[in-house]
Amino acid sequence: MSETKVGKYLVRMDLLYTESDEWVKLEGDIATVGITDYAQKKLRDIVGVDLPRKGQKVILGEVVAVVESVKAAADIYSPVSGEIIDVNEELVTAPETINKDPYGSGWLFKIKANSPEETKKLLSPESYIEKIKGD
Amino acid sequence: MFWTPLINFEEKLGANIGEFAGWKMPMTYSSYQEEHMAVRTKSAFFDLSHMGRLRVKGKLQEIENLIAKKLSDAPAGTMIGPTAFLNDKAGFIDDVMTYKVSDSEFLIVTNAINREKVTAWIRRNSSLEVEDLTFDLVLVAVQGRGIWDVVERIDLAPLQFRLNTKFEGQDVFLVSRSGWTGEDGLEFWSKPENAQVILERLLTRGMKGAGLVARDSLRLEMGFVLYGEDIGEDVNPVEARYWVYSLDKDFIGKEALLDTLKRGVDKLRIGFKLPKNQRVIPRNSSKIKIAGVEIGQVTSSTYSPFLSRVIGMGYLSSRHFFMGGTAEIEVRGKDYSVKLSDFPLLK
Repeated sequence: MSETKVGKYLVRMDLLYTESDEWVKLEGDIATVGITDYAQKKLRDIVGVDLPRKGQKVILGEVVAVVESVKAAADIYSPVSGEIIDVNEELVTAPETINKDPYGSGWLFKIKANSPEETKKLLSPESYIEKIKGD
Repeated sequence: MFWTPLINFEEKLGANIGEFAGWKMPMTYSSYQEEHMAVRTKSAFFDLSHMGRLRVKGKLQEIENLIAKKLSDAPAGTMIGPTAFLNDKAGFIDDVMTYKVSDSEFLIVTNAINREKVTAWIRRNSSLEVEDLTFDLVLVAVQGRGIWDVVERIDLAPLQFRLNTKFEGQDVFLVSRSGWTGEDGLEFWSKPENAQVILERLLTRGMKGAGLVARDSLRLEMGFVLYGEDIGEDVNPVEARYWVYSLDKDFIGKEALLDTLKRGVDKLRIGFKLPKNQRVIPRNSSKIKIAGVEIGQVTSSTYSPFLSRVIGMGYLSSRHFFMGGTAEIEVRGKDYSVKLSDFPLLK
Protein backbone atom coordinates (compact mmCIF):
# COMPACT_ATOMS: atom_id res chain seq x y z
CA MET A 1 0.00 0.00 0.00
CA SER A 2 1.48 3.32 -0.94
CA GLU A 3 1.05 6.52 0.93
CA THR A 4 2.08 10.12 0.41
CA LYS A 5 3.12 12.63 3.03
CA VAL A 6 1.55 16.07 2.57
CA GLY A 7 3.17 18.32 5.18
CA LYS A 8 2.61 16.36 8.39
CA TYR A 9 -0.41 14.49 7.02
CA LEU A 10 -0.51 11.02 5.45
CA VAL A 11 -2.69 10.33 2.42
CA ARG A 12 -3.17 6.73 1.33
CA MET A 13 -3.07 6.28 -2.41
CA ASP A 14 -5.41 3.24 -2.46
CA LEU A 15 -8.42 5.08 -0.97
CA LEU A 16 -11.00 7.62 -2.11
CA TYR A 17 -11.88 10.79 -0.22
CA THR A 18 -14.59 13.35 0.47
CA GLU A 19 -14.49 17.13 0.75
CA SER A 20 -15.46 16.67 4.41
CA ASP A 21 -12.31 14.60 5.15
CA GLU A 22 -13.70 11.07 5.24
CA TRP A 23 -11.81 8.30 3.49
CA VAL A 24 -13.61 5.50 1.64
CA LYS A 25 -12.35 2.06 0.76
CA LEU A 26 -14.45 0.50 -1.98
CA GLU A 27 -14.63 -3.30 -2.28
CA GLY A 28 -17.38 -4.13 -4.75
CA ASP A 29 -20.44 -2.30 -3.39
CA ILE A 30 -19.12 -2.25 0.19
CA ALA A 31 -17.70 1.09 1.34
CA THR A 32 -15.60 1.16 4.51
CA VAL A 33 -15.47 4.70 5.93
CA GLY A 34 -13.17 6.50 8.35
CA ILE A 35 -11.68 9.94 8.87
CA THR A 36 -8.38 10.96 7.30
CA ASP A 37 -5.09 11.51 9.04
CA TYR A 38 -5.57 15.22 8.29
CA ALA A 39 -8.97 15.20 10.03
CA GLN A 40 -7.78 13.34 13.12
CA LYS A 41 -4.76 15.63 13.49
CA LYS A 42 -7.00 18.70 13.20
CA LEU A 43 -9.34 17.31 15.86
CA ARG A 44 -6.43 16.24 18.10
CA ASP A 45 -7.26 13.97 21.05
CA ILE A 46 -10.38 12.02 20.17
CA VAL A 47 -12.29 11.00 23.31
CA GLY A 48 -15.62 9.73 22.05
CA VAL A 49 -17.55 8.53 19.05
CA ASP A 50 -21.25 8.27 18.25
CA LEU A 51 -21.76 5.50 15.68
CA PRO A 52 -24.77 4.72 13.45
CA ARG A 53 -26.94 1.60 13.94
CA LYS A 54 -26.45 -1.51 11.88
CA GLY A 55 -29.26 -1.70 9.36
CA GLN A 56 -29.71 2.09 9.30
CA LYS A 57 -30.48 3.45 5.83
CA VAL A 58 -28.36 6.45 4.98
CA ILE A 59 -28.18 8.90 2.12
CA LEU A 60 -25.21 10.69 0.60
CA GLY A 61 -24.22 13.74 2.65
CA GLU A 62 -26.25 12.82 5.72
CA VAL A 63 -24.64 13.09 9.19
CA VAL A 64 -24.30 9.46 10.31
CA ALA A 65 -21.70 9.62 13.09
CA VAL A 66 -20.04 12.11 15.40
CA VAL A 67 -16.42 12.10 16.50
CA GLU A 68 -15.84 13.90 19.79
CA SER A 69 -12.57 15.57 20.54
CA VAL A 70 -11.82 17.84 23.45
CA LYS A 71 -11.87 20.69 20.97
CA ALA A 72 -15.15 19.98 19.17
CA ALA A 73 -17.69 17.43 18.06
CA ALA A 74 -17.17 16.71 14.35
CA ASP A 75 -20.01 15.47 12.17
CA ILE A 76 -19.18 12.53 9.92
CA TYR A 77 -21.08 12.53 6.63
CA SER A 78 -22.07 9.50 4.67
CA PRO A 79 -19.98 9.44 1.47
CA VAL A 80 -22.57 7.30 -0.35
CA SER A 81 -26.19 6.19 0.00
CA GLY A 82 -27.05 2.71 1.20
CA GLU A 83 -27.38 0.65 4.35
CA ILE A 84 -25.01 0.50 7.34
CA ILE A 85 -23.93 -3.14 7.53
CA ASP A 86 -21.22 -2.91 10.16
CA VAL A 87 -19.89 -0.46 12.75
CA ASN A 88 -16.58 -0.47 14.61
CA GLU A 89 -17.83 -1.11 18.15
CA GLU A 90 -14.26 -1.17 19.51
CA LEU A 91 -14.19 2.61 19.14
CA VAL A 92 -16.88 3.09 21.77
CA THR A 93 -14.45 2.17 24.54
CA ALA A 94 -11.24 3.07 22.69
CA PRO A 95 -11.99 6.13 20.53
CA GLU A 96 -8.31 7.13 20.64
CA THR A 97 -7.76 4.33 18.08
CA ILE A 98 -8.86 6.87 15.46
CA ASN A 99 -5.84 9.04 16.39
CA LYS A 100 -3.49 6.07 16.42
CA ASP A 101 -4.56 4.31 13.23
CA PRO A 102 -7.03 6.44 11.24
CA TYR A 103 -6.81 4.36 8.05
CA GLY A 104 -6.75 0.96 9.78
CA SER A 105 -8.28 -0.12 13.08
CA GLY A 106 -9.80 3.36 13.42
CA TRP A 107 -12.39 2.74 10.67
CA LEU A 108 -15.91 3.88 11.60
CA PHE A 109 -18.58 1.99 9.63
CA LYS A 110 -19.31 0.01 6.47
CA ILE A 111 -22.06 0.82 4.00
CA LYS A 112 -23.57 -1.41 1.35
CA ALA A 113 -23.78 1.23 -1.39
CA ASN A 114 -26.87 1.23 -3.59
CA SER A 115 -25.84 3.79 -6.19
CA PRO A 116 -22.57 3.15 -8.05
CA GLU A 117 -22.79 6.59 -9.73
CA GLU A 118 -22.28 8.29 -6.38
CA THR A 119 -18.89 6.70 -5.84
CA LYS A 120 -17.66 8.37 -9.03
CA LYS A 121 -18.00 11.72 -7.28
CA LEU A 122 -15.52 10.78 -4.55
CA LEU A 123 -12.13 12.50 -4.65
CA SER A 124 -9.05 10.72 -5.93
CA PRO A 125 -6.00 10.70 -3.61
CA GLU A 126 -4.43 13.29 -5.92
CA SER A 127 -7.45 15.61 -5.59
CA TYR A 128 -7.47 15.15 -1.82
CA ILE A 129 -3.75 16.02 -1.66
CA GLU A 130 -4.57 19.23 -3.56
CA LYS A 131 -7.30 20.01 -1.05
CA ILE A 132 -5.14 19.73 2.07
CA LYS A 133 -1.89 20.97 0.57
CA GLY A 134 -0.62 24.15 2.18
CA ASP A 135 -2.78 23.74 5.28
CA MET B 1 -2.84 38.34 18.07
CA PHE B 2 0.01 37.91 20.58
CA TRP B 3 2.57 35.12 20.58
CA THR B 4 4.23 33.54 23.57
CA PRO B 5 7.91 34.57 23.43
CA LEU B 6 8.76 30.87 23.89
CA ILE B 7 6.93 29.80 20.72
CA ASN B 8 10.03 28.87 18.66
CA PHE B 9 11.48 26.82 21.50
CA GLU B 10 8.16 25.07 22.04
CA GLU B 11 7.59 24.34 18.36
CA LYS B 12 10.96 22.59 18.33
CA LEU B 13 9.68 20.42 21.17
CA GLY B 14 6.75 19.44 18.95
CA ALA B 15 4.10 21.75 20.38
CA ASN B 16 0.83 22.10 18.48
CA ILE B 17 0.20 25.81 18.59
CA GLY B 18 -3.35 27.05 18.80
CA GLU B 19 -5.19 30.22 19.71
CA PHE B 20 -6.45 31.02 23.17
CA ALA B 21 -7.75 34.40 24.36
CA GLY B 22 -5.98 36.24 21.56
CA TRP B 23 -2.67 34.41 22.05
CA LYS B 24 -0.81 31.76 20.08
CA MET B 25 0.01 29.18 22.74
CA PRO B 26 0.94 25.47 22.95
CA MET B 27 -2.27 23.44 23.08
CA THR B 28 -0.65 20.00 23.24
CA TYR B 29 2.76 18.48 22.71
CA SER B 30 1.85 14.82 22.28
CA SER B 31 -1.58 13.97 23.64
CA TYR B 32 -3.27 15.99 26.36
CA GLN B 33 -4.14 12.75 28.13
CA GLU B 34 -0.46 11.83 28.52
CA GLU B 35 0.36 15.38 29.62
CA HIS B 36 -2.49 15.36 32.13
CA MET B 37 -1.34 12.04 33.60
CA ALA B 38 2.25 13.30 33.73
CA VAL B 39 1.10 16.03 36.12
CA ARG B 40 -0.98 13.64 38.25
CA THR B 41 1.82 11.07 38.51
CA LYS B 42 5.13 12.82 37.75
CA SER B 43 5.54 16.39 36.51
CA ALA B 44 5.21 18.69 33.52
CA PHE B 45 5.67 22.34 32.66
CA PHE B 46 3.16 24.77 31.20
CA ASP B 47 3.79 28.03 29.40
CA LEU B 48 1.23 30.47 30.77
CA SER B 49 2.66 33.64 29.29
CA HIS B 50 -0.75 34.65 27.98
CA MET B 51 -1.95 35.44 31.51
CA GLY B 52 -2.00 39.13 32.36
CA ARG B 53 0.56 40.30 34.93
CA LEU B 54 0.15 43.71 36.49
CA ARG B 55 2.13 45.60 39.10
CA VAL B 56 -0.11 47.85 41.18
CA LYS B 57 1.29 50.50 43.51
CA GLY B 58 -0.40 52.97 45.80
CA LYS B 59 -2.38 53.21 49.00
CA LEU B 60 -3.37 49.89 50.58
CA GLN B 61 -6.84 51.24 51.31
CA GLU B 62 -7.38 51.94 47.63
CA ILE B 63 -6.22 48.45 46.63
CA GLU B 64 -8.41 46.92 49.34
CA ASN B 65 -11.37 48.82 47.94
CA LEU B 66 -10.96 47.08 44.56
CA ILE B 67 -10.28 43.50 45.61
CA ALA B 68 -12.84 41.29 47.34
CA LYS B 69 -10.47 39.50 49.72
CA LYS B 70 -8.73 41.16 52.65
CA LEU B 71 -5.11 41.92 51.83
CA SER B 72 -3.97 43.81 54.92
CA ASP B 73 -3.73 40.72 57.19
CA ALA B 74 -1.39 38.78 54.90
CA PRO B 75 2.37 39.09 55.37
CA ALA B 76 4.48 40.42 52.51
CA GLY B 77 5.78 37.60 50.29
CA THR B 78 2.54 35.66 50.27
CA MET B 79 -0.19 35.20 47.73
CA ILE B 80 -3.79 36.05 48.47
CA GLY B 81 -6.26 34.28 46.33
CA PRO B 82 -7.86 33.34 44.26
CA THR B 83 -9.78 36.52 44.78
CA ALA B 84 -11.67 38.81 42.45
CA PHE B 85 -12.52 42.21 41.13
CA LEU B 86 -16.31 42.50 41.30
CA ASN B 87 -18.60 44.97 39.62
CA ASP B 88 -21.19 46.87 41.66
CA LYS B 89 -23.68 44.04 41.09
CA ALA B 90 -21.09 41.61 42.55
CA GLY B 91 -20.50 39.99 39.14
CA PHE B 92 -16.97 38.90 38.29
CA ILE B 93 -14.91 41.47 36.40
CA ASP B 94 -12.14 38.93 36.80
CA ASP B 95 -10.90 36.28 39.18
CA VAL B 96 -7.27 36.97 39.99
CA MET B 97 -4.31 35.90 42.09
CA THR B 98 -2.61 38.64 44.11
CA TYR B 99 0.97 38.69 45.35
CA LYS B 100 1.65 41.00 48.27
CA VAL B 101 5.06 42.62 47.81
CA SER B 102 4.41 45.23 50.50
CA ASP B 103 1.47 47.19 51.88
CA SER B 104 1.77 49.54 48.92
CA GLU B 105 2.73 47.14 46.11
CA PHE B 106 0.93 44.11 44.73
CA LEU B 107 1.38 41.90 41.69
CA ILE B 108 -1.80 40.66 40.11
CA VAL B 109 -2.30 37.81 37.65
CA THR B 110 -5.39 38.25 35.50
CA ASN B 111 -7.04 36.00 32.95
CA ALA B 112 -5.64 36.71 29.47
CA ILE B 113 -8.97 37.94 28.13
CA ASN B 114 -9.38 40.40 31.00
CA ARG B 115 -5.95 42.04 31.16
CA GLU B 116 -6.95 45.29 29.44
CA LYS B 117 -10.37 45.40 31.06
CA VAL B 118 -8.87 45.04 34.55
CA THR B 119 -6.19 47.63 33.87
CA ALA B 120 -8.77 50.16 32.69
CA TRP B 121 -11.10 49.34 35.58
CA ILE B 122 -8.36 49.85 38.21
CA ARG B 123 -7.44 53.19 36.63
CA ARG B 124 -11.07 54.27 36.48
CA ASN B 125 -11.78 53.37 40.11
CA SER B 126 -8.60 54.48 41.85
CA SER B 127 -5.52 56.64 41.68
CA LEU B 128 -3.31 53.54 41.79
CA GLU B 129 -0.34 53.21 39.49
CA VAL B 130 -0.69 50.19 37.17
CA GLU B 131 2.22 48.77 35.20
CA ASP B 132 1.68 45.94 32.72
CA LEU B 133 4.51 43.39 32.96
CA THR B 134 2.85 40.84 30.65
CA PHE B 135 5.05 41.46 27.63
CA ASP B 136 8.38 41.77 29.46
CA LEU B 137 8.33 38.43 31.23
CA VAL B 138 7.13 34.90 30.57
CA LEU B 139 5.16 32.90 33.12
CA VAL B 140 5.91 29.19 33.40
CA ALA B 141 4.39 26.66 35.81
CA VAL B 142 6.05 23.39 36.78
CA GLN B 143 3.48 21.11 38.32
CA GLY B 144 3.12 17.55 39.52
CA ARG B 145 3.19 14.94 42.24
CA GLY B 146 6.80 14.09 41.41
CA ILE B 147 7.94 17.67 41.03
CA TRP B 148 10.74 17.54 43.60
CA ASP B 149 12.42 14.64 41.79
CA VAL B 150 13.01 16.97 38.85
CA VAL B 151 13.08 20.55 40.10
CA GLU B 152 15.62 22.23 42.38
CA ARG B 153 14.06 22.43 45.84
CA ILE B 154 13.16 25.94 46.89
CA ASP B 155 12.46 26.92 50.46
CA LEU B 156 8.92 28.20 50.03
CA ALA B 157 5.69 27.20 51.74
CA PRO B 158 2.53 26.90 49.62
CA LEU B 159 1.43 30.34 48.40
CA GLN B 160 4.73 31.97 49.33
CA PHE B 161 6.81 33.76 46.72
CA ARG B 162 10.17 35.43 46.33
CA LEU B 163 11.26 38.26 44.04
CA ASN B 164 14.49 38.88 42.11
CA THR B 165 16.00 35.55 42.95
CA LYS B 166 17.64 32.54 41.31
CA PHE B 167 15.84 29.40 40.22
CA GLU B 168 17.74 26.55 38.62
CA GLY B 169 20.77 28.87 38.50
CA GLN B 170 18.94 31.49 36.45
CA ASP B 171 17.76 34.97 37.30
CA VAL B 172 14.02 35.10 37.76
CA PHE B 173 11.84 38.03 38.64
CA LEU B 174 9.53 35.88 40.76
CA VAL B 175 9.15 32.32 41.90
CA SER B 176 6.13 31.11 43.86
CA ARG B 177 4.93 27.81 45.29
CA SER B 178 1.62 27.74 43.46
CA GLY B 179 -0.31 26.45 40.47
CA TRP B 180 -3.74 25.66 39.11
CA THR B 181 -3.68 21.89 38.71
CA GLY B 182 -4.33 20.62 42.23
CA GLU B 183 -0.77 19.32 42.48
CA ASP B 184 2.31 20.75 44.15
CA GLY B 185 4.51 22.98 42.07
CA LEU B 186 6.15 26.27 41.31
CA GLU B 187 5.46 29.15 38.98
CA PHE B 188 8.12 31.55 37.83
CA TRP B 189 8.22 34.80 35.90
CA SER B 190 11.41 35.54 34.04
CA LYS B 191 12.88 36.87 30.84
CA PRO B 192 12.24 34.41 28.00
CA GLU B 193 15.94 33.54 27.63
CA ASN B 194 16.22 32.56 31.31
CA ALA B 195 13.05 30.49 31.09
CA GLN B 196 14.42 28.65 28.08
CA VAL B 197 17.63 27.69 29.94
CA ILE B 198 15.55 26.48 32.91
CA LEU B 199 13.24 24.44 30.69
CA GLU B 200 16.16 22.90 28.80
CA ARG B 201 17.58 21.74 32.14
CA LEU B 202 14.25 20.31 33.24
CA LEU B 203 13.85 18.52 29.90
CA THR B 204 17.18 16.76 30.39
CA ARG B 205 15.83 15.49 33.72
CA GLY B 206 12.81 14.00 32.02
CA MET B 207 10.17 16.67 32.51
CA LYS B 208 7.66 16.97 29.67
CA GLY B 209 5.86 19.94 28.23
CA ALA B 210 2.10 20.21 28.70
CA GLY B 211 -0.33 22.43 26.81
CA LEU B 212 -3.44 24.40 27.63
CA VAL B 213 -5.73 21.44 26.84
CA ALA B 214 -4.23 19.46 29.73
CA ARG B 215 -4.39 22.53 31.95
CA ASP B 216 -8.12 22.69 31.23
CA SER B 217 -8.74 19.02 32.08
CA LEU B 218 -6.65 19.30 35.26
CA ARG B 219 -8.51 22.39 36.51
CA LEU B 220 -11.86 20.78 35.71
CA GLU B 221 -11.05 17.72 37.82
CA MET B 222 -10.33 20.09 40.69
CA GLY B 223 -13.50 22.10 40.12
CA PHE B 224 -11.56 25.30 39.37
CA VAL B 225 -13.48 27.77 37.23
CA LEU B 226 -12.50 29.24 33.87
CA TYR B 227 -13.44 32.87 33.28
CA GLY B 228 -15.68 33.26 30.25
CA GLU B 229 -16.98 29.69 30.60
CA ASP B 230 -17.91 29.11 34.24
CA ILE B 231 -17.91 32.68 35.53
CA GLY B 232 -18.37 36.13 34.05
CA GLU B 233 -19.84 39.53 34.81
CA ASP B 234 -23.32 38.02 35.09
CA VAL B 235 -22.31 35.49 37.77
CA ASN B 236 -21.60 36.32 41.42
CA PRO B 237 -19.29 34.44 43.81
CA VAL B 238 -22.20 32.97 45.79
CA GLU B 239 -23.74 31.35 42.71
CA ALA B 240 -20.30 30.11 41.69
CA ARG B 241 -19.62 28.90 45.25
CA TYR B 242 -16.28 30.59 44.79
CA TRP B 243 -15.27 32.03 48.13
CA VAL B 244 -13.10 34.86 46.92
CA TYR B 245 -14.21 37.57 49.36
CA SER B 246 -13.87 38.77 52.95
CA LEU B 247 -16.89 40.46 54.49
CA ASP B 248 -14.95 42.23 57.24
CA LYS B 249 -13.86 45.07 54.94
CA ASP B 250 -15.33 47.28 52.25
CA PHE B 251 -14.88 46.76 48.51
CA ILE B 252 -16.71 47.47 45.27
CA GLY B 253 -19.56 44.98 44.99
CA LYS B 254 -19.77 44.21 48.71
CA GLU B 255 -23.21 45.69 49.14
CA ALA B 256 -24.62 43.65 46.27
CA LEU B 257 -22.84 40.57 47.59
CA LEU B 258 -24.35 41.02 51.05
CA ASP B 259 -27.78 41.50 49.48
CA THR B 260 -27.27 38.28 47.54
CA LEU B 261 -26.26 36.40 50.67
CA LYS B 262 -29.36 37.65 52.48
CA ARG B 263 -31.75 37.05 49.61
CA GLY B 264 -30.32 33.74 48.44
CA VAL B 265 -29.55 32.72 44.88
CA ASP B 266 -31.51 31.19 42.00
CA LYS B 267 -28.67 29.07 40.65
CA LEU B 268 -25.60 27.30 42.01
CA ARG B 269 -22.51 25.79 40.44
CA ILE B 270 -22.27 22.01 40.56
CA GLY B 271 -20.07 19.29 39.06
CA PHE B 272 -21.15 16.22 37.17
CA LYS B 273 -19.78 12.89 36.03
CA LEU B 274 -20.97 10.69 33.20
CA PRO B 275 -20.85 6.89 33.40
CA LYS B 276 -17.53 5.46 32.21
CA ASN B 277 -18.89 4.06 28.96
CA GLN B 278 -20.63 7.30 27.92
CA ARG B 279 -18.10 9.07 25.73
CA VAL B 280 -19.96 12.24 24.78
CA ILE B 281 -18.86 15.70 25.81
CA PRO B 282 -21.56 18.17 26.74
CA ARG B 283 -20.70 21.65 25.51
CA ASN B 284 -21.27 25.07 27.03
CA SER B 285 -25.06 25.69 27.27
CA SER B 286 -26.04 21.98 27.03
CA LYS B 287 -29.23 21.55 29.06
CA ILE B 288 -29.23 19.76 32.42
CA LYS B 289 -32.67 18.16 32.88
CA ILE B 290 -34.77 16.05 35.20
CA ALA B 291 -37.50 14.00 33.55
CA GLY B 292 -37.37 16.25 30.52
CA VAL B 293 -37.56 19.52 32.44
CA GLU B 294 -34.61 21.89 32.19
CA ILE B 295 -33.08 22.61 35.61
CA GLY B 296 -29.70 24.00 34.58
CA GLN B 297 -26.97 24.39 32.00
CA VAL B 298 -23.47 23.07 31.44
CA THR B 299 -20.63 25.59 31.41
CA SER B 300 -17.60 23.36 30.76
CA SER B 301 -16.84 19.69 30.31
CA THR B 302 -14.06 17.38 29.19
CA TYR B 303 -12.87 13.81 29.25
CA SER B 304 -10.88 13.17 32.43
CA PRO B 305 -7.95 10.85 31.72
CA PHE B 306 -7.46 10.31 35.46
CA LEU B 307 -11.06 9.23 36.14
CA SER B 308 -11.54 7.64 32.68
CA ARG B 309 -14.86 9.37 32.28
CA VAL B 310 -16.42 12.57 31.06
CA ILE B 311 -16.74 15.24 33.77
CA GLY B 312 -17.85 18.82 33.83
CA MET B 313 -19.54 21.66 35.67
CA GLY B 314 -22.52 23.88 35.22
CA TYR B 315 -25.26 25.74 37.06
CA LEU B 316 -28.42 24.20 38.51
CA SER B 317 -31.48 26.04 39.67
CA SER B 318 -30.97 26.22 43.45
CA ARG B 319 -34.34 24.45 43.99
CA HIS B 320 -32.83 21.49 42.16
CA PHE B 321 -29.43 21.41 43.80
CA PHE B 322 -29.55 17.64 44.27
CA MET B 323 -25.92 17.01 45.15
CA GLY B 324 -25.20 13.30 44.80
CA GLY B 325 -28.38 12.79 42.81
CA THR B 326 -28.75 12.06 39.15
CA ALA B 327 -29.97 14.17 36.23
CA GLU B 328 -29.73 14.06 32.46
CA ILE B 329 -27.67 16.18 30.12
CA GLU B 330 -28.85 16.75 26.58
CA VAL B 331 -26.19 16.34 23.92
CA ARG B 332 -27.20 16.59 20.25
CA GLY B 333 -30.81 15.89 21.10
CA LYS B 334 -30.14 12.79 23.23
CA ASP B 335 -30.27 12.63 27.03
CA TYR B 336 -27.41 11.09 28.99
CA SER B 337 -27.57 10.25 32.68
CA VAL B 338 -25.12 12.11 34.95
CA LYS B 339 -24.30 12.06 38.63
CA LEU B 340 -24.38 15.51 40.24
CA SER B 341 -21.23 15.86 42.31
CA ASP B 342 -19.42 18.32 44.50
CA PHE B 343 -15.88 19.52 43.82
CA PRO B 344 -13.20 18.38 43.49
CA LEU B 345 -14.40 15.82 40.96
CA LEU B 346 -11.08 14.04 41.33
CA LYS B 347 -12.32 12.11 44.37
